[in-house]
Amino acid sequence: MEIVERIREEARKALEEKKVELIIGFEEGSLPLRTTPAFIKSIDAVERLIWNATCENNLANYLLRLKIKGKVGIVAKGCDARSIINAIKERQIERDMVFIIGVPCTGMVDRKGIKERFDEAEILEAIEVNGQIKVKGERFEGSFNISDFLYDSCKTCTQKTPSLYDVIVGDEVKEREDVDEFREIREFEKKSPDERWAYFTREIESCIRCYACRNVCPLCYCKECFIDQSRPQWFGRSIDESDRMIFHIIRVFHTAGRCVDCGACERACPMGIDLRKLTKKVEKDVVELYNYKAGIDLETVPPLATYKEDDPQEFIK
Amino acid sequence: MEEKVISREKVVTFIDTLIGKYYVFAPVKKKDFISFDEVKSGNEVYLGYRNSKDSPKRFLFPQSEVMLRYEKGRLIEEGPFDYGKRVIFGIRPCDIKGFSLLNKVFDNHDFRDPYFITKRDSIILIGMGCREPQTTCFCTSLGIDPGSSDGADLFITDIGNKYVFQILTSKGEGIISEYDGFNDAEKADLDMKEKVSEDAKERIRTKVEISGLKEKLDGMFEDPFWSDLHEKCIGCAICTYLCPTCHCFDIEDETVNDKGVRRRNWDSCMFPLFTLHTSGHNPRESGKERMRQRIMHKFNYFVSYWGDTACVGCGRCIINCPVNMDLRKVINNINHG
Amino acid sequence: MQNPYKPYPVRIRRIIIENDTRDLKTFELVFLNKEDEECFRYTPGQFAELSVYGAGESPIGIASSPTEKGFIKFTVKKMGVVTTALHNMEEGQVIGIRGPYGNWYPFHLMEGKDIVVIGGGFAFTTLRSAIVYMLHGENRKRFGKITCIYGARNAGELIYKPELKEWEERSDIDMYVTVDKLNGDPWPAREGFVPAVTKEIAPSSENSICLVCGPQIMIKFTIPVLTELGFPPDRIINSLEMRMKCGIGKCGRCNIGNRYVCKDGPIFSLAQLNEMPDEY
Repeated sequence: MEIVERIREEARKALEEKKVELIIGFEEGSLPLRTTPAFIKSIDAVERLIWNATCENNLANYLLRLKIKGKVGIVAKGCDARSIINAIKERQIERDMVFIIGVPCTGMVDRKGIKERFDEAEILEAIEVNGQIKVKGERFEGSFNISDFLYDSCKTCTQKTPSLYDVIVGDEVKEREDVDEFREIREFEKKSPDERWAYFTREIESCIRCYACRNVCPLCYCKECFIDQSRPQWFGRSIDESDRMIFHIIRVFHTAGRCVDCGACERACPMGIDLRKLTKKVEKDVVELYNYKAGIDLETVPPLATYKEDDPQEFIK
Repeated sequence: MEEKVISREKVVTFIDTLIGKYYVFAPVKKKDFISFDEVKSGNEVYLGYRNSKDSPKRFLFPQSEVMLRYEKGRLIEEGPFDYGKRVIFGIRPCDIKGFSLLNKVFDNHDFRDPYFITKRDSIILIGMGCREPQTTCFCTSLGIDPGSSDGADLFITDIGNKYVFQILTSKGEGIISEYDGFNDAEKADLDMKEKVSEDAKERIRTKVEISGLKEKLDGMFEDPFWSDLHEKCIGCAICTYLCPTCHCFDIEDETVNDKGVRRRNWDSCMFPLFTLHTSGHNPRESGKERMRQRIMHKFNYFVSYWGDTACVGCGRCIINCPVNMDLRKVINNINHG
Repeated sequence: MQNPYKPYPVRIRRIIIENDTRDLKTFELVFLNKEDEECFRYTPGQFAELSVYGAGESPIGIASSPTEKGFIKFTVKKMGVVTTALHNMEEGQVIGIRGPYGNWYPFHLMEGKDIVVIGGGFAFTTLRSAIVYMLHGENRKRFGKITCIYGARNAGELIYKPELKEWEERSDIDMYVTVDKLNGDPWPAREGFVPAVTKEIAPSSENSICLVCGPQIMIKFTIPVLTELGFPPDRIINSLEMRMKCGIGKCGRCNIGNRYVCKDGPIFSLAQLNEMPDEY
């Protein structure tokens, strides 16, 4: 049975047995290469659920954002499941209030990357067949291996199969062991501080402070975000360079030891800012300093929630 | 009406001529998108674009602007300031319509907003007809023609090897006279221009039913429709910040030591803080109320206040939404729900 | 072109601490420039944006009456950034003011009618303005009987106390000052919530119009009493509060449906409110 059929079957069962109030999954989007989050509340609506290589949103975000009473079913990729683990560890949701339909994921397709192939021309149609995306425009056609056009976060993903689920649909995906997920960051670290600062400045220049990166992130559930506080007010609300920078810097520090590199922030950014350069750097630091990766299991205590006498502390000099 | 033509190559020289005399803002390539920016050379300008990522509204209504300056608790300088003579080169008809909608808010019989008006009056608008609208474009549903010169001082149509310039105002006339490389348009040029703009109109297949929408929404405030609609919305400000018609703002003081400025910054109805009272009460407490406000403001409140719909069908909110909230679908659901 | 965002400079002439909690202060302000005072012509019910450079602006109802010449006054509750900054100011300091904004109590409808004024807590500011205006000299005979019911949690929380006592002595206004709980204070003598007192006094609704201002909970329970007394919705007048920034119908946040509270309000009749969405 195809994955999509199995998702529907599990969703139907869960709704029928009144195990959940609703199922959060994906449905057909309105644009080529897009799907959209779906909130399925009735058995009739289960047919709307789909699964393909454009199910790019991290649905765990909704578990924290929506005030849902009762148990929720959720379709979760590897990264979504890691976010759910995080949220449980951070006591934001209770394990038994969420029914996880795990889906082993082979990576999501980078729609911007494909679009760039056709310059300004508009993609009018895209279909996924056997690991390939066939796209059509007015004066062109093309076919791509999905594996060649994955999001950067998917290329370096080491947790494609959810590690936490109630049911799993589809076969486990072999995790890559050869992946060097911090290669780019190491390259970047080799640059001089001036070069890095210049890069960062240029990237942040286009930030419009829409806060899509924050709002789409399952970690950003603070009742009142530091950037919104008015008493005291820490930051200006203009597009002053330093205010924008500080927003991104503080945001990324808040993700330390928590970010699962789902890439949602970068995908949400309308201005194409290289946000993962920041989050990935902090992720690398946490791995190197504390040997901790977020969202892998429910047991390991996050480094920021504990203290060991031999914790590295060079940075507090 | 007078029409001139100029070759593709010469447009660059024309822009270069303007750059010495005006601040010129034109579409330029940035990363994977197009955005209006100040250009220092005609070569930077990219006129083959479909539409820009963000609306050029920020030249009239910047994301952040200084309203006045104070020192030690006293006003020392008030705006509007001198913004210089400016040209917006290559703006699309939908965005020009956006300007006229903003104008209703900022320049009306009740209160005239000098910051907006001063900038508006210092700008010369060189509009540009569309050749290849996108599938997310639905301007024609809002009564906008992708080849319409309404509101422009000069209007360009790309007819292949050359551009036709329509002169619409004395400001436009003045701009043309800055450069002697223009020829009078011939009948063939004008025929071609006609064809280009007819083709563009043809290409817009997306239709959204706007007539009757306001009336439909009149009775929908309490409709359960809104409870489901907002669910997937993450409450960011992409749709409102990129929109050519959204105009909500905040006013705030920024002080360093004894000196400071009072600023006007963009704000968004999608943010909870937008309506939060100091007491903690919030009339638009959840995403449901905020999404309803956004749709109602555009298609109902604005209509009853200013007699027009606050949407130009540019499709930016559709293309850029991180969760694929599609305004066209929202409208269709309201119409047929 | 006039800049509607430019505040007029005003000097704080006097600061009066209004309540025992000390979070309500009345500021009497004097225009530094005579021309500005000329421009600032207001009617009771309107508000203004008070401006403390460095803190920002806050919309506050005007508590003085245009019949009181030479100054304007505002009673401000210490709540957020701007109001706290205001509370920290001293007599003699200069702040900014812009306005007047919004509509006013419907005196054209009130003329020739009996007036019932009902207020609660600190929301008595623009009602005070209206009362002072109506009691003033020649104005008084334009209105019929004036009845005022005003209540607060306790005696210490009643604002404008000297004035309330003075009005109690007058024969051209019937004053009913009440507190939720009597706690041995010599004044006032009446105990009871505003809705209950209203019911007890039962002002006639005949040829009468009622202005109501107060906390949400007081309004909620007073309206049914007024309805029972026969006040039709178009003769029950409310003043609303909303988060505002520009005050001139542009910044977009204070609307209730298609009305801006800053421009089309803050005064609405219950009939109007009934037509508007419940989003305030």
